[in-house]
Amino acid sequence: MDTIVCLKQVVDPELPQWDFAIDPATKRQVRMGKPLVISTYDENALELALQLKEKTGGKVTALTLGPQGEVKDAVRLALAMGADEAVVIDDPQSPQRLAADKASVLAAAIKRIGRFDLVLTGCESADWVERAMAPFLAEALGAACVTFISRAESRDGALSVRRTSEEGFQTVDVRLPAVLSVTSDEAIRPRLPKVKDIMAAMRKPVANWTRADLGAEDAGGAKGVEVKDVSIPERTTKVEFLEGEPAEQAEALVARLRALKIL
Amino acid sequence: MSITLLRGAIVLLMLTVAAGVSARKLWRVYRLIRLGDGPVPLQPIGRRLSHLVIEVIGHTKVFRRFSSGLLHLFIFWGFLVLLSTIIQVFGEAFVPGWTLPVIGREPWFVLLQDVFIVLVLIGVAMALYLRLVVRPWRLVTQDQFGAYLILGFITGIMTSLLLSRATGIALGHAGWAGGAIVSRAVAGWFEGISTPVIRGVFEAAWWVHIGIVLYFLTWIPEGKHLHLITLGPNVYFQKARPRGALAAVDIETAERLGASRAEDFTWKDNLDVFACMECGRCTEVCPASNTGKELDPRRLHTDLRKQLTAVGAQLLAEVPPDEIKRPALVGEVFSEAFLWQCLSCGACVEECPAGNDHIDKIVGMRRHLVMEEARLPENMEQALRSMEARGHPFRGAAVTRTAWTAGVQVKRLDQGATAEWLLWVGCAAALNERNHPSMRALVSLLHAAGMDFGILGDAEVCTGDPARRIGNEYLFQTMAKQNIATLGRFGVRRIVTICPHCYNTFKNEYPQFGGQYEVWHHTQLLARLLEEGRLRPNGSLRTAVTFHDPCYLGRHNGEYDAPRRVLGAIPGISTVEMAQCRDKAFCCGAGGGLYWFEDRTGERVSHARTRHVAATGAQIVATACPFCTLMLEDAAAATNATARPVDIAELLAQSMGPGA
Repeated sequence: MDTIVCLKQVVDPELPQWDFAIDPATKRQVRMGKPLVISTYDENALELALQLKEKTGGKVTALTLGPQGEVKDAVRLALAMGADEAVVIDDPQSPQRLAADKASVLAAAIKRIGRFDLVLTGCESADWVERAMAPFLAEALGAACVTFISRAESRDGALSVRRTSEEGFQTVDVRLPAVLSVTSDEAIRPRLPKVKDIMAAMRKPVANWTRADLGAEDAGGAKGVEVKDVSIPERTTKVEFLEGEPAEQAEALVARLRALKIL
Repeated sequence: MSITLLRGAIVLLMLTVAAGVSARKLWRVYRLIRLGDGPVPLQPIGRRLSHLVIEVIGHTKVFRRFSSGLLHLFIFWGFLVLLSTIIQVFGEAFVPGWTLPVIGREPWFVLLQDVFIVLVLIGVAMALYLRLVVRPWRLVTQDQFGAYLILGFITGIMTSLLLSRATGIALGHAGWAGGAIVSRAVAGWFEGISTPVIRGVFEAAWWVHIGIVLYFLTWIPEGKHLHLITLGPNVYFQKARPRGALAAVDIETAERLGASRAEDFTWKDNLDVFACMECGRCTEVCPASNTGKELDPRRLHTDLRKQLTAVGAQLLAEVPPDEIKRPALVGEVFSEAFLWQCLSCGACVEECPAGNDHIDKIVGMRRHLVMEEARLPENMEQALRSMEARGHPFRGAAVTRTAWTAGVQVKRLDQGATAEWLLWVGCAAALNERNHPSMRALVSLLHAAGMDFGILGDAEVCTGDPARRIGNEYLFQTMAKQNIATLGRFGVRRIVTICPHCYNTFKNEYPQFGGQYEVWHHTQLLARLLEEGRLRPNGSLRTAVTFHDPCYLGRHNGEYDAPRRVLGAIPGISTVEMAQCRDKAFCCGAGGGLYWFEDRTGERVSHARTRHVAATGAQIVATACPFCTLMLEDAAAATNATARPVDIAELLAQSMGPGA
């Protein structure tokens, strides 16, 4: 099964809260000097792709769109984890772009890569949480789409996937080619590369393309979606003392929690 | 054929057979040892020889247990002195009444021999008392049969020697007997006994003596008695690199990373396992063993010896690799838990009378687990991933690297400032708010002393120490090279750091990659500034303090005094030592990368250490390592202990009074 995994590099979502800043000019998170990592769910998607490859064979291609100088570590990690090759689409503007805009470029790249059975993405990016990439890609590629999957099993050339929904799990049979967005599961915890794989990754092929190579014109940002404003939510702490005997305090506490819709 | 000739011929035959058997066994041991590779460090001869004399002849390590040390000293020195009597006895086989030329008839020498016969017998009696009455754990869990057998041999050799000397005197053919006061006294017992009987006793004692000596000779190359032969070379060839440094691996060229088979260790590691006399002192002091965990540093050596012997035999017989019968070294012989419980605190290494290094072997097997199999406890894995992604091992840290500098005047080299000293903060101090007061105190002291210093700020990344101890040599080397480049870019030559782990890495490990710096631990610099009068504490603290030695400052770098000198300079402080202090200190539980993962089997190491602190009655446990501070703080909170950890810098700053 040939799989293409879309990996996005984001500012480390685990940075301390007070290290988070917004650039008022671009209305985007400040990236300068911050550690960059592969977005959490994207790494799960890569792990799932590698496990499917181990069971059914085929090839795994890591695809990423970003400022070329910034994505080297992400690409090396993906190759060290076991991706066979990588494609980087150089786009210095990508941190400013939203899913709709980027999906067309990624779809063009996927078409150029050619043969694929499966395209995997994370179910949401750790920075913008749009949750829209998989459907956009499926639309552009004319492929089936299942979102929020945590497990996938190959069955006679098709795929049986477990989808997480609000009610619980759904098992969905999906025809290939398909685009799936991946959540998390104990079974797809991203592997730690072995040192010999890290060394081998240095010799794996990485293709560097530009937007122009893919015929994607820079439409100047928004495609139907525009970010008007962003702000960091303000957190305030209020302390309230409940008076009375313990029994009365407990009753008052329950009443307060109910009023706050916590209970 | 004369009696003398016949006797000489028989003894010669016995000697040839015994020496042959012994040599054959030793040759085999030698070949097993040489299955390992690695350099043979003969230089510097002078330092190695003096070390050999001090440790072996001087028994410095053995004397860490006084009574064991004394009894072993009697037996060992007795062995050296009484080699002369063994030579004499063999000489007598060919020339009746023969003694060593020149000194053999000197009264003082004969007296010395007599005295040591008695001292060896006293040593054996002490050993029996220790084994039968005191029964320390480390001895009752040993190969007891072998131990009693060897004591039996020694007793036999000594009593037969004494009897043959005494009867020789009684028979009047010992012209050398002037100084032999003990032998003469025993000879007195034979007064009034007929000459043929005495002659019979003499002959019997003489043959028994030769027989046991020769049988013993064939027995030495087996088991723990081999240390008679291997210990000297093992001490001589002790690693030349500093105690705190692990050996570098050439990742590019290494065929296998780490050790997963008996033959993957160096020849010196193999010599170690044949030098182990199974005394169990390592296990007795191991913080993991002491808190009910599986790790057993003695078993590390005894089991490696068994594996090397069994697997080595097949390798030497050139059994094809895939037909060699062996259990998995990592996972079966030593469980993963066993390997992940080591704190690399060095207590075992410090204690070992054979000069063995336990840490190298454990890290060797960890290297295999981490680099070849990518198998390690999840929290350790997260720490390593965090080091790669964020440059520090504290995943989920709530503060940034420079958050502690809020409200503090400190130069930032990464923002263009220059300074004579680099104050290296280290991740444990920078990224854990608990340690920020220590950092701020240190900065205020350095300012008070008029020091010119700055920090690297955001340009600082982890030294790589946790990766190296956890076994990811690749990541360590990547980070080391990155840091060396950074330090070079800022022209750093002198470093002072609050973290003993960073201190050890800069001082002992970066030179392996070309990074040479003058490195000071903050307690060393503070002690110096106090002695130069550049810091003058005036306020009195009036409190009882006990000092917890960080393993990587103390045992790994030999610095026990600087922190104590700083504490001694603070007015009003009374210091009280824990029983486990200085080179016998007990780890806080964070070493070896175990800050990120501690096996929950048994008691937590940090809780045990908190008990040691409580036993002193001190109100404060002074620390000199941000990891120790974090561990002891958590442990004190969890066990409701009263004594809380405070870094020495903070204690000193508190005593500086207003305006200081």
